[in-house]
Amino acid sequence: MEDIKNIPEEFSFEKEKEIARSFSKRFQWEMILIGVGQATVWLSLWPLVINGYISLFFGSLIATICACFAYLPSHEAQHGNYSRGNPKRRWIDSFVSHFTLITIMFPHDLMRCTHMKHHAYTNNPEKDPDYDTASAKSLWEVITATQVGIKKYESIAEIFKNDNAFMKSFNKGVIIGMMYRVILLTLVVMFPLETLLLWWLPSKFGIIYLSTFFSWYPHYQADIGRYKDTKFWSHWMPRYLNHSMQLHFVHHLHPGIGHYDEPKAIEALKPFLIAREVPGAEDIPESVKYNPLIKR
Amino acid sequence: MDKFNEILTNHISNWNMVWFGLIFWGSVINAIAELYLVNNNSIFCYLFGFLLGVVAKIRGTWLWKI
Repeated sequence: MEDIKNIPEEFSFEKEKEIARSFSKRFQWEMILIGVGQATVWLSLWPLVINGYISLFFGSLIATICACFAYLPSHEAQHGNYSRGNPKRRWIDSFVSHFTLITIMFPHDLMRCTHMKHHAYTNNPEKDPDYDTASAKSLWEVITATQVGIKKYESIAEIFKNDNAFMKSFNKGVIIGMMYRVILLTLVVMFPLETLLLWWLPSKFGIIYLSTFFSWYPHYQADIGRYKDTKFWSHWMPRYLNHSMQLHFVHHLHPGIGHYDEPKAIEALKPFLIAREVPGAEDIPESVKYNPLIKR
Repeated sequence: MDKFNEILTNHISNWNMVWFGLIFWGSVINAIAELYLVNNNSIFCYLFGFLLGVVAKIRGTWLWKI
């Protein structure tokens, strides 16, 4: 970890960790509700559309909203933020993540192992699995990067092929990914337009939304290093519509902080970030409320 | 079994776009054609999906390249 000289003792890394830890204890029930809720709504769309209770286009709109809500509950699970180190609660991480990701056809194990590498090597052109979207020069490049599919994961596997724990999780994810493909191709033969508009297209929108707000905006043109690899950014959208990803900076510092506790955590950590001369830290509001969140 | 897995993995890696074009886009185009065309021939729909997959495989992407 790089450090700036002359950091006063009151803003030491140990003190920073202590504050972060106080926001890393609460049970993340909101995320479970969102993850399980959106996947249940999405699953219920199929009989509702097929039996004609709602129109396919209305169903597609709801499915797209579900897809945009699908990743974050899994993201909390990938960091073990439901079980909080309790082995008896680990099933919650696994269940919530697998279930919520159905909407966007992502395998939990693949997401978890690549996301851990993203945290370990953020913005490293060779090793960060999200570098393709984070370094995109336009939204169109983000969109094309999300469509690379299997080739992207082949190159990631090549980089980390000697990491046994990574490859074990990766290969498990590949099998689930193939199962998704088989289910998709079976459903499309039976319900072609429903499969296109309830699953395939919404999942694409969900993945583009995810890559844009979770990867591109927070990491684009950011440097390498603990206090440099993620940036504060502003957007015309109310922060609730981009999942408060303007606060992604604090997630990279302390991934154990629950998503809905991040605003309070960043308020408490503001003096620490100013002491470390983090760009934009001075603009963090005293109380994080609506939007604009951070004016930089 | 390992040999089978290797062959299957290589096949999926090399031909997934073609299969996806044939089955997924073929089915979707066929369903749209059934809705809007009076004389629909399913074979042409699946052939078109297959061709989309072949083109995507050759180009390496489904989308426009920058």
